[in-house]
Amino acid sequence: MATTALPTTGTLTAAPAYEGQSGIWSWLTTVDHKRIGVLYLFTALTFFLIGGLEAEIIRLQLQGPNGHVVSAELYNQLFTMHGTTMIFLAIMPLSAAFFNFLIPLQIGARDVAFPRLNAFSYWVYLFGGIFITLPILFNVAPNGGWFGYAPLSTRPFAPGLNIDFWVIGLQILGVSSLAAAFNFITTIINLRAPGMTLMRMPMFTWMSFVVQFLLVLAFPVITVALVFLLFDRFFGTQFYEIAAGADPLLWQHLFWIFGHPEVYILVLPAFGLVSEVLPTFSSKPLFGYPVMVYSGMLIGVLGFGVWAHHMFAVGMGPIGDSVFSLVTMLIAIPTGVKIFNWIATMAQGQLRFTTSMMFGIGLIALFTIGGISGVMHSSPPADLQQTDTYFIVAHFHYVLFGGSIMGIFAGIYLYFPKITGRMLDEGLGKIHFWVNFVGMNLTFFPMHFSGMLGMPRRIYTYDSGQGWDTFNMMSSIGAYILAVATMIFVYNFLKSRKHGAIAGANPWGAGTLEWTIPSPPPEYNFAVLPTVTSRYPLWEGDERDAESARINSQEGKTADELHIVLPYNTIKPMIVAGSMVIMFCGLIFAKPLIFIGAASMVVSLYSWLLSPLEPEHH
Amino acid sequence: MKGNSRLRQILAPGLIIMFGLALAAGAQTYPNSTFQPHSELGRYIDFLWNRLLLLGTIVFVIVEGALVYVIFRYRRKGTETEKPPQTHGHALLEVTWTMIPAFILLFIAVPTVRIIFKTQAKVAAGALQIEVIGHQWWWEFRYPEYKITTANEIYLPVGRTVNFKLNSNDVIHSFWAPQLGGKRDVIANRTNYIWYTPDSSMKSAVWNGFCTEYCGTSHAKMRFRVFTVQPAEFASWVAGQQKPAQYGATVASLPGGQATPVSGGEPKTSGVGAEGGNAPAIARPNGTPTPGSDTIAARAPTTGAVLASLPAGYTFPRNLPEFEYAKPHTPVPGDLHFTPGLTGVAARGMQVYSTAACVGCHAIAGNPSSVGNIGPNLTHIGSRSTLGAGSFPNTPAYLALWIKNARKMKPGIIMPTLGLNEMDPVQKRIIDKASGGLDDQQIADIVAYLSSLK
Repeated sequence: MATTALPTTGTLTAAPAYEGQSGIWSWLTTVDHKRIGVLYLFTALTFFLIGGLEAEIIRLQLQGPNGHVVSAELYNQLFTMHGTTMIFLAIMPLSAAFFNFLIPLQIGARDVAFPRLNAFSYWVYLFGGIFITLPILFNVAPNGGWFGYAPLSTRPFAPGLNIDFWVIGLQILGVSSLAAAFNFITTIINLRAPGMTLMRMPMFTWMSFVVQFLLVLAFPVITVALVFLLFDRFFGTQFYEIAAGADPLLWQHLFWIFGHPEVYILVLPAFGLVSEVLPTFSSKPLFGYPVMVYSGMLIGVLGFGVWAHHMFAVGMGPIGDSVFSLVTMLIAIPTGVKIFNWIATMAQGQLRFTTSMMFGIGLIALFTIGGISGVMHSSPPADLQQTDTYFIVAHFHYVLFGGSIMGIFAGIYLYFPKITGRMLDEGLGKIHFWVNFVGMNLTFFPMHFSGMLGMPRRIYTYDSGQGWDTFNMMSSIGAYILAVATMIFVYNFLKSRKHGAIAGANPWGAGTLEWTIPSPPPEYNFAVLPTVTSRYPLWEGDERDAESARINSQEGKTADELHIVLPYNTIKPMIVAGSMVIMFCGLIFAKPLIFIGAASMVVSLYSWLLSPLEPEHH
Repeated sequence: MKGNSRLRQILAPGLIIMFGLALAAGAQTYPNSTFQPHSELGRYIDFLWNRLLLLGTIVFVIVEGALVYVIFRYRRKGTETEKPPQTHGHALLEVTWTMIPAFILLFIAVPTVRIIFKTQAKVAAGALQIEVIGHQWWWEFRYPEYKITTANEIYLPVGRTVNFKLNSNDVIHSFWAPQLGGKRDVIANRTNYIWYTPDSSMKSAVWNGFCTEYCGTSHAKMRFRVFTVQPAEFASWVAGQQKPAQYGATVASLPGGQATPVSGGEPKTSGVGAEGGNAPAIARPNGTPTPGSDTIAARAPTTGAVLASLPAGYTFPRNLPEFEYAKPHTPVPGDLHFTPGLTGVAARGMQVYSTAACVGCHAIAGNPSSVGNIGPNLTHIGSRSTLGAGSFPNTPAYLALWIKNARKMKPGIIMPTLGLNEMDPVQKRIIDKASGGLDDQQIADIVAYLSSLK
């Protein structure tokens, strides 16, 4: 298999849309994890473009000293929304797109455990995303930074609607993440195919599994922090009111107990994707699979013990500084192990430099830089010169762009054929990679220098003669190059969706379960639930794997013909999600909406719960 | 070998650029560089930084080198006849590359913890105490030992440890003078400290300081200056600052026509903006002033105005070319103008100031009606080098515009728009006589008064 790049099975046509599964209504009512994954993918890519546009305006403003493309007020909204958008509306949902599409396919399931809850998660995300994004068109977008530090975010210092949108918007998005996390945990624990033991699960599913626990443990903390703030702002409580003696560090601790695991929520799915990409294009199993699993878990656990390294300047005292410093350094160890194991996966392989592979290697190369600069500010005294400067901006863009985004692009190039049945154009893809790679480094590497040369973060303008002009110009040019790269990708994505080469079941010669079924997969995924005997059923499985793969690769059968029971489509999850958002809108726009939204939510929720998920089994 | 030469082709230019940039970072063109520490705290940090950079570079070279090697060495050639070896792992290797990073981290962890405890120890006795109070978006500095209150500028004697006691009046700020040491957050309802000792071998110099915690609209304009001066100069400055405000029969002419930031200050055209914005002809002294010379007084000979010779203390000379970076270059909004050629009279200005809105927020020791404590203390505003927390040079021309419509010059600030018939960008209304609007002559008088408070 490894030497055949093109599929040998299946008829060479993209599978048609499922019966009765076209038109807008089918998308609004779908409970199919694959279609929900596609919805996540398109929505998140749209938000990625919006967040990118915000970044371009920021770089336009900072291109030279004393820039005045936008006002101070608008700039502050832009950097707040750039962060909020990229984290909550782009990277997390892009990961969610893969969770949705891939996890059931990788573990040999027909859907997620709670298909309607899954639809609900998506709609809450979409409505919440719109809710928090639209205000920028009216100059009332959130402007307190993505971290929303109190007391700057409390009513006395932020009297406008800006922070209201942020507090409520994040609460809404949190509902989506939590519902999805419980759904995937249940799915992974309960719906694995026969023989799919935990230690045979593909690494992407493993890393996703870890991430779901991080979500379940971290989001309640930000929820509590946001409820406090919401009550302060709307109902007169005083959790963060400094005039009433509040300690401003309460918010910081709560926020970062969520905020640091959030970093791993953003990056571990990308690690998982790359752990699929590298073996596929090296034609070798992942090196040190158990250690990769354990290091992922260890990163997740340690991630909860390092939050205060975001706070080395707040004056915690020498003991607090030391403890959080040492635990932070410890995280470098499992992370380093991952990087070495990826390189060892490639070593002695037969490397095929597809676009996906190039993005995967790009992740290793660039995330390493982010990891090294991360160790640099794990040392609190050194961090006192680094924190809140552009050095940090450089660091976390190497982690999140060099890590998460590169990994997600690797994943998109790898799985686009599975999702759409067609190949992304490899020629355009490679141009995309190189333009992206150059633009990324030109944008973010100079920020190490502007930061160490004294440039603070989050400033809407800077004076001339401070030694920052050249580096900022470089960063801005890099950002414009990134815009070009993204346009190339968008063009390739849209073009290949309709006109790409037909992919077939396993265009890359990959080894895991999702490649045993047609592309795009039939709505029931697997004609027979596969029996799994190894980590790479297509590479090293025995005759039972081969038999499942043979049956499942056949196209054209409908669920009815196979007597597979599928859940009903339903609009109810969307109505519940919409009602919930209307209820929250009531806090800002008109109090009666609270009751209308709540009533509608209760009614539609009961209607949902009282209607059967699927036809009765025969 | 093919792989190796390619490898060198890729790595060599990158490394050269990196080292070039690193070297360049040491030059004087980087006035806020953290690579040139001027205190013991700065040097401790620099020691850690150098170690982190060294170890980081080694790790970088090893990892990226291994990656590049693997990329070229194991590239698929299309001639392979069988699958590559299907290795699943190697326990010894994996233990090795778990242990090596742990070992490297020891060399970071040990000095880190030692330096944490050293730099956060109790400050030495006899340190200069300075209370720093953060406001949106300016700095209040108090010297309890000398009973001095000032704003946005700190004078420090070289060689004496200074202990900053940090508090905020509102949101969280962060106090940072990069060349002198690390930063520390400035938080309401909490008292933070940071101490360091400006090198005693330093010649008198000025450093830029910044707020580094996002604190709202004009966070970018919350800057300050630190003057590290010789002990004798410091003593003279203290003596000057301790005196209550005094003004003589001062007349201050405001610059007219062509050279004001007002008419020339279209910010878009950088050439005009930079020159016109910063070189009001009258405010700029002829030639380089000698240390100790009074920059405001330096204006007198050119205008012919009479300035009473008052016993002012030392102030750091304002226009030394090597400290050009400490002079703000912010352009003035193009739609803010001031009547050219007006002459202000300090005595009249004192009257106007004392009956206008000013006294509600500002204090001037020696002016019994001016005891507000919301805005910066103006007792010796004439001795300061900048306006608006490092936003503009403190010259009569800028001061006049500032009083007229500060909200146009620095977004979001509390300082109200005072100019008659000016548009208040926050309240979105025209300031009229009834709401306390001041005409240009009255503002010129206030400028004459304030400028004389050295």
